[in-house]
Parts: sequence; structure tokens; C-alpha cells
Amino acid sequence: MSYMIALAGNPNCGKTSLFNELTGSRQRVGNWPGVTVDKKEGTYKKDKEIEILDLPGTYSLSPYSAEEIIARNYLVKEKPDAVINIVDGTSLERNLYLTLQILETGIPTVIALNMMDEVEDRGDEIHIEKLSRAFGVPVIPIVARNGRGIWELMEKAAETAREKRAPMKLPVFDKKLQETIDQVKALLEAEGEPDSGWKAVKLLEHDENVREQMKEDLKNQAGKLTAKRYGQEADLEAEIADQRYQYITKAVKDAVTKHSAGCVETKSDKLDKLFTNRILALPVFAVIMYLLFACTNSENFLFLGIPSPGIWLAGVVESLWGGLTGLAERALAGASPWIYSLVIDGIMGGLGSVLGFIPLVLVLYILISFLEDCGYMARIAFVLDRIFRRFGLSGRSFIPLLQGFGCSVPAVMATRTLESEKDRKITAILAGFMPCGAKLPIFALFASTLFADNNQTLVTYSLYVLSIVMAVLVSLLLNKFVFREGTSNFIMELPQYRIPTLKSVLIHGWEKVKGFAVKAGTVIFVSTVLIWFLSGFNLNSFNGKNAAENEDGSIMCGMNDSFMASVGNVIAPVFRPLGFGEWRPAVGVITGWIAKENVVVTFAQLYQEDVTEAYLEEYFSQYSPKELEELGFEGGVYNAEAAGDIYSENILFEGSDENALPHMRDDIQTKAAAYAYMVFNLLCMPCFAAVGAMKRELKTWKETGRAVAVQMAAAYTAALLVNMVGGLFL
Amino acid sequence: MALAMMEVGETRQIQAFHGKEEVKRHLQDLGFVKGGTVQVVGENASGMILLVKGVRIALNRGLASQIMVA
Repeated sequence: MSYMIALAGNPNCGKTSLFNELTGSRQRVGNWPGVTVDKKEGTYKKDKEIEILDLPGTYSLSPYSAEEIIARNYLVKEKPDAVINIVDGTSLERNLYLTLQILETGIPTVIALNMMDEVEDRGDEIHIEKLSRAFGVPVIPIVARNGRGIWELMEKAAETAREKRAPMKLPVFDKKLQETIDQVKALLEAEGEPDSGWKAVKLLEHDENVREQMKEDLKNQAGKLTAKRYGQEADLEAEIADQRYQYITKAVKDAVTKHSAGCVETKSDKLDKLFTNRILALPVFAVIMYLLFACTNSENFLFLGIPSPGIWLAGVVESLWGGLTGLAERALAGASPWIYSLVIDGIMGGLGSVLGFIPLVLVLYILISFLEDCGYMARIAFVLDRIFRRFGLSGRSFIPLLQGFGCSVPAVMATRTLESEKDRKITAILAGFMPCGAKLPIFALFASTLFADNNQTLVTYSLYVLSIVMAVLVSLLLNKFVFREGTSNFIMELPQYRIPTLKSVLIHGWEKVKGFAVKAGTVIFVSTVLIWFLSGFNLNSFNGKNAAENEDGSIMCGMNDSFMASVGNVIAPVFRPLGFGEWRPAVGVITGWIAKENVVVTFAQLYQEDVTEAYLEEYFSQYSPKELEELGFEGGVYNAEAAGDIYSENILFEGSDENALPHMRDDIQTKAAAYAYMVFNLLCMPCFAAVGAMKRELKTWKETGRAVAVQMAAAYTAALLVNMVGGLFL
Repeated sequence: MALAMMEVGETRQIQAFHGKEEVKRHLQDLGFVKGGTVQVVGENASGMILLVKGVRIALNRGLASQIMVA
């Protein structure tokens, strides 16, 4: 006999920590049907017969948000064998409000009293027995983050499920209200409605969801019943909420002995004095953001002369991948040219460019998860709310936008936490503007080649600033002309500051990176192979002409004659006003839609093609033997075989040399055009994986299409302005 | 008077909410009930931080001016 046990509780009550402790690695993440809310299921570590389901965190079981509807439908319709209701011991009253609603469903329940360590630190005492008696179900004290008490909890939950021990009926409501509820219940029972007790309460609460599914005359009869007792205008919903809270307040007063009467200033309050301070909050925020990005992608970490953790990790991954590529090269030494090219140039080269910045994204997301889990992110959303409000957004939009600096896919997914639909739609569009990890290589490439004689950090930094400026402008415009419903309210719980465990930070960080890693493994993998094919083949590959012409009998062709060149030539004119209307930059833009990092991969392939043997020989002739040796030529002697590799590794994209990319200069002639190219790639439609995520959040293709159109229009306008105005100065 | 007029450190009782029904429900779920106490623990340019049912909740000033206290 197997059991299903559901975890339910408020947001920030430690539900996810408990779920992770109970299931370990045996988790499955899916979606609830029809909505984009994660459905997490897992098997209990110590008993394979017990399945555990993590319900979304909610404050109540009213039907006003996707999370609440999921949680209540699951409890009422699917009926798990037991519910573990996790309650934060440091804020009992508010947490127990949900508890009363769960108990009304009649499902066997156990209360897990979490954060007991913090309760003890405060010197408060909770009488477990009294609390258990007041709510009619077992109460087990636990500390989810270190596992204290969780095995006893599971034993109790399994026992409760086995014995189908339904919760006792509680004297929550006063006599008059209880009688009304009982009358309505009897009415529903007579009509054969299932779950009549629960539905009776919901009917009196004016629960839209329950009312919709009920027959008209039943509703009318119930309405008459209540009108008789309470009058026509009665607000029973508020009355019920009030009586629930009264019951809870009394129970908590009986069961809890506070160390000190009244409200003492907690550690959280002291920290809030700084982090939400009227004057200091923003400077402190700026410092924290600086540290965040310094840890992620700074070559000179905090001016210590060492690389940041992100850059260091990226270096390690790159050198490992280089070794692997070397092995593959040796293994394929005798294979046919096209197989060699597919594996080395297509697969290894393409995936290598992605692997190079996965560590940056990973480090950024681990740090973001730390800020979220410790409670700071909620504060910063609040502090920024005033500023965001001016642009027609809520401070909550900051969190998805910050994630956009890593990858657009999780950033767009994070917009689902926003309450207002308008904020969700606008933020999903703006998230695509952010300089995600995959766009950084584009800036690095351009800065080091076409802007070799300028301050390269400044060039990259200016694009960061531009992305934020564009986000502000586009949000203002959308608020003025498209969405005119005014700004939404800001209501957010500020959880206690807690130092999260390393494990939970790593798990949360990984959950965000996962979407990106999966994308790298699928979309990017397929697209690199596709680009390789389109840029190495043409129609003559398949009629034998290429094979006859090539000395080695290869069926491949030069990039200039490939399918890719044909496509690029067709769309290039569109980009002429922007300053880069040649086929190669155009191809770069297209491959960037498959995945932004492809822009660099494409450039590497497109321009390397033009580096012929004759060109290499002439190029290296300017060096002395000593310099040649330093570059990697054995004994300082020029060697045609090694020249190609040395050129592409040391010179092609390393910059500083005017001659490094002769053909790139032909295609993108002015600095204004080069900057316009970066701007266009920064702002235009994000990669297809991100567009897919936008479709999931915006629901329809029509909405998604409109969002992409806004992004394209913004990108084209900005790039056009850069090329025209910049052309006057640069 | 409106909650928005309260000073930091002040504690008062919630009396009524003048605003949309759905916002009222959300506030209720978060612990804002008629007769319940609310304490202002902090404020800044964005709004106020309130202590309600033992939990800290941040509200923007516009919303805080729709909640009546006594």
C-alpha cells in the first residue's frame, strides 16, 4: 500500500527545505496542468512506499491566484492520504490561518512546527500539547534546515495516513455562524453534493470558484438562509476571517509563553534599519550589486589581481574542453574531412563556446539564490519599488530583470511571480534586453577587435547602461500607449533574515541554471550542427561538383558559396541603414536568434574562412624568429601547418592588432556601425529558447508575437540612431 | 485615520479597507483583519513596513492610505 503525502504551507515557511531533506535526489519536477507553476514530487528517502508532493506556497485556500487554486483543487479533489502543514513557529498566528482552512477540508493532517531553533533563540516557549489540542491534530516540532525532528514527523504523518485519522471538528466559529454553516451543509447534503462541510463554508465566504460550480437554486436557498440570520448586506467573508483569527489568537496565547512581553526589536529589524533605510538603502544596494558582478565576471577581482570565481571557473572549464577537443582531433585524424569538420568545428567548437560562459551564469545564479534565500531580495524589491513605479512597473520586476543578466530563459520564467498581468507582460519583454551571459562574448569580441584602441571595459559597460536605459524607455512607452491600467499595489512579506544553508543555495541556483543547461544540450547543440551544415555546404555538395573540384575530394564548399551566404545576402539590405548590410553580419544576427552565443561562433567561422595560407604567410612574415617562437612556432620557424591554429588562437580575436580581422573591417566599416551591431544584438528578439519561455508565460502566440515585435522595433530604432548619430562623431 | 498617517513605532487597530475586493481578500489572507493590530516598524520612500500577526509586510504608501485605523 503506497501513500501520498502533500506538503502545504505559507511562502517562506521552509517547505522547500523540508521537501529536499525528505526526498533527497529523488525528485521530479513537472507542471500543473494548464498553468505554469512547478509541480514537485518525490519519493520519501526512507520508505519507497511514500510519495511526497510539494504544493505551491500559499497564504490561504481562496481561489484568487494560480497557486491557491492548485493547492485547494489538489486537496479537495485528489485528496492526498495526509497533509503535512508546515508552520513557521516564529509567526504562528498568520501561518495558522492557512492551517484552519486545510483542516476544513477534512484530510488527515499533521502540523510541522518549523524554525524551532529560532523560537528557542528568542527564549519563547511553545507548549506542543496545548497547540495540538487546540487544533485537534498532531504537532511535531522540527528544524527543516538541519533535519531536526523530521523523521518523527514522517512517522507521525505515515501513521496518520494509514489510520485515515481525520482532524477533529473545531469550535472555531460562534454559535450563530456555526448554525448557519450547519444549515447550509444540511442543504447541500440533501442534494448529494460531495464535501458538503467544506463547500458550505466556502459558499458563505462568497467563494467564486465553488459558487460557479453550484446549481442556481441551491445558491439561492443558501443565500436566503444567510440573509434570514445576517440580513441582506452582511459581509460574511470578513466575519469568517475575523472569527478564524480570533480562534487562532486565543489558541496561540494559551500555547505560547513569550520571553518578553510586547514586541522586541529582532535581529531582522536591526538589519532592516540599514537595508531599507531612507537614505542608505540605495548605496548599500549599489555596493551589493557591484560585489555580485565582481564575483561573476571580473578579470581583476576586487583589485586583488586575481580572477573572480566566475572567470576562474570558466578558465578551468575551457582548458578541460580544450584537452577533450585535442583528444577528439587525434582520434579522428584519419577520418574523412567532413566528419572531422563536423565533430571538431561544428560540435566541439560550438559547445565549447557555450561551456565558456556557463560558469559565469552558474556563479551569478548561486549568488542571486543566496540573496533570495537570506531575505535581502524581498527588501530590495521594496526599496526599488518607488523607482520602478515611476516607469510603470513594480519593484518586484527587479528580480526577473536581474536574472536576465544570466540568461533570459529563467528570467522570463521568473516573471510568473509578479502579481499583475501588466507587470508580467512588460517585464517579459524587458528581460530580453538584458545583457545575458551569451551576449557578453559578442561584446568581448567587438571590443577587442573593432574597438581595440578604445577603453574596452567602457565599451562593454556602456552596453550594460544602454540595456537599462532602453528598459526604462520601453516600459514608459508601453505604459503610456499600450497598457493604461495604472500601477499595481506593492504588498510583500519581508521574511526574517536567515543565513541559508549551502545546500539550499546550491539547489536553488542549480534549478535556475538547469533550464539554461538543458537548452545548451539541445537547442544549441542542434543549431551548431545546423550552422555548420549551412555554412559548409551548397547545392554542388550533392551533385558531385564540389567533390570533383576539391583536391581532397571533400564535398564541402567555402563559406562564401554556402547556403548561409545565400540567406545572408537576401536579408542583408534590411540592415544597410544600420551600417552592417553585408551578408556575414546578417548571418550573425540570424544565428544569434537560435542562440546568442552563436554570433561569435559564426563570426569565428565566417572570418576564419578568409584567412588563406597566402595571407597567413604574409601576415607572419612581419615577426622576428623570437616573436614567432613566443607565438608558438617551434624553433621560431614559420610552419604553414601550425599557422592556422596559432593565428586563430592568438591573433584572430585577441585584438590589439589592426590587421587581425581585415574582412570584418570591410563588412563593418565604422565604429558607429560596429556599436550599432552590438546594440542590435543586445536588444533584438532573444534566442528561440527564450521566445519559447515567453510563449509559456504570455500564453498565446499572438501575445508573444507582439512582445517580439516590440523588441525588434526597439532594437532597430536604437541601432539606427546609433549608426546615424554616432556616424557624425566616430 | 489612514494607516499611511501613522508614525514609526505606533500601534493601532485596523478598522476598514477602502479599495478593490480582491486586494481586500489578499490583505485579509496576510493577516489584515478588522480589529487586528498593526504596528509600523519602518518606512522609506517606497512605503511602510508593518508588523501584522507577527509578520513583517511591506506596503506602498498608496495602499497604506486605503487602510483605515483607529
